[in-house]
Amino acid sequence: MAKHLTRRQLLVGAGLSGLALHAPGLFAMHGNTQLPAPIRRAVPSTGERLPAIGMGTWITFNVGSDPYLIEQRTKVLKTFFDHGGSVVDCSPMYGSSADVLGRSLDALGARDQLFAATKIWTGDESATREQAESSRRKWGVERFDLLQVHNLLGWQGHLETLKAMKAAGEVRYLGITTSHGRRHGEFARIMETQPLDFVQLTYNVLDREAEARLLPLAQERGIAVIVNRPFQGGSLFRRFQSEPLPAWAGEAGVSTWAEFFLKFIVAHPAVTCAIPATSSVEHMQENMAAMYGELPDEQQRQRMVAYVRSL
Amino acid sequence: MSDPAWLSYSLQDFLMFGPEVFLRLFARINQDLWPWQLLVVPLSLIVPWMAGRPEIVWRRLALVIVAAAWILSGGGFLVNYFGEINWPAVWIGWAFTVQGGLLAALAVTRGCPRLSIGRTGWFAAFWLAAVVLLPWLTVVQSGEPTTLALFGLSPGVTVAASVLLVGGFGRATFWLLLPVPITWVLFSTATYWALQTQWLLLLPLATLASLVAGVWLSPRPVQSPGPQSAHHGPVRR
Ligand SMILES: NC(=O)c1ccc[n+]([C@@H]2O[C@H](COP(=O)([O-])OP(=O)(O)OC[C@H]3O[C@@H](n4cnc5c(N)ncnc54)[C@H](OP(=O)(O)O)[C@@H]3O)[C@@H](O)[C@H]2O)c1
Repeated sequence: MAKHLTRRQLLVGAGLSGLALHAPGLFAMHGNTQLPAPIRRAVPSTGERLPAIGMGTWITFNVGSDPYLIEQRTKVLKTFFDHGGSVVDCSPMYGSSADVLGRSLDALGARDQLFAATKIWTGDESATREQAESSRRKWGVERFDLLQVHNLLGWQGHLETLKAMKAAGEVRYLGITTSHGRRHGEFARIMETQPLDFVQLTYNVLDREAEARLLPLAQERGIAVIVNRPFQGGSLFRRFQSEPLPAWAGEAGVSTWAEFFLKFIVAHPAVTCAIPATSSVEHMQENMAAMYGELPDEQQRQRMVAYVRSL
Repeated sequence: MSDPAWLSYSLQDFLMFGPEVFLRLFARINQDLWPWQLLVVPLSLIVPWMAGRPEIVWRRLALVIVAAAWILSGGGFLVNYFGEINWPAVWIGWAFTVQGGLLAALAVTRGCPRLSIGRTGWFAAFWLAAVVLLPWLTVVQSGEPTTLALFGLSPGVTVAASVLLVGGFGRATFWLLLPVPITWVLFSTATYWALQTQWLLLLPLATLASLVAGVWLSPRPVQSPGPQSAHHGPVRR
């Protein structure tokens, strides 16, 4: 990815003009003369800096071969890239999402901006390479940046193959995933004993179980953290969107509920990026705004937790 | 699967597509199959007339139409459209085609079961209500007339209408024909519940009502000849 930064910066510039219309406060803060710098986080194992907001594809990109919806999702992906996004996460479990992503990437010709992350999701521990290859063809990428063992399914066998693939340069990073707070004990043991580059887990203002063990462990072991379900599958909006933001939100760099939820996550020092999913261009714009401006400090993060609890 | 973590999954966690994508499947199949609807709709409307005829040839034809509807909605909608976004739909789609094959075999060997005399009007009323009214539920849900879910193209309406006939078969055939509709009722109820498409939940409900109505409409063996049976005696199965 690194060699294409210049082109991406150009595209970010183009996209940010849209963002400026959408979130003028952001640009007032930084002035119009200079592009605001997106929040990036380093992958501990290499130092590569990734944009702190990525994109998930569960449900949202599973639209089959519907040309109208593929075109619509392509616009969502374009908005993501235009606003400086890079990390896209998928899985063979997500129905047609990988095919749709491939078609959207074809339409945008945007693979050079992409940090391609998918998963291995099969109980057959000898099928790692085969599944990675099938996903690679769907995405139309030369190789994946990151391959993760989905929900620890057959992790022993898959991790061994992924290590060999990484050594052979067939994939850049490897990792494991969980969600909904499941199997954290086993997850932690794997983090302690295996040479992982990434872990993916659920963490948000309401589901903070990862704070107890997994996030400190990731920092200690130098493992990058991708946060899934940042909006608790959308339920955070359903629950809180009708409520006002706290009066002090602006001080924490927050002007929308999307920013509230996402900035809470990416401000955690162990977090590398959050991967919200959306099927809407407007929501994508809102979510990407969280990658710019101030982040809440630890005290403000505690106030955020207390505030949503009080609602 | 023995992992207790599975207990923490909700129905929504298994849902891998959104309501908009699901409802557009109906618009897409309607668009792709146009103008075959001009044939499919009249055929679905004349089934009660055919099923009510005493001549076996018409009752065979009625069942052929129903068999074709299962094969089309299974192989078409479920396998080719729904299966793209929800892999279990592919298996159910193949089960639909097997059910269609069974119905076709029954059409050849026996024809449509005869209806209880005096209840053919009820059969026609139930059938027409199913094939004329139920297709609009997807329209009410989506607000898009293009999503009309026709008998023969969409599985929900096909099953709801055709289970009216299942009760008329002998006991062994009845049980043989029951698992696929029941599986569909369970699967579609779970899907519509998770999608929160409340209007569509009326489809599995209508299917169950239709199944009960089908049993009621079917002729029963006479135990005691009464004054009614002299004129309206049931036809032997
Ligand atoms: N075990 C695993 O590996 C695992 C498990 C779960 C998730 N994941 C990954 O993590 C990603 C994110 O998780 P998720 O998709 O489950 O849930 P999520 O990102 O927490 O929530 C997605 C939902 O939020 C809504 N939304 C997004 N932006 C919004 C906005 N600005 N305003 C209002 N609503 C908004 C979306 O609806 P709209 O479409 O209407 O915007 C969608 O329904 C997944 O897509 C997947 O890639 C991985």
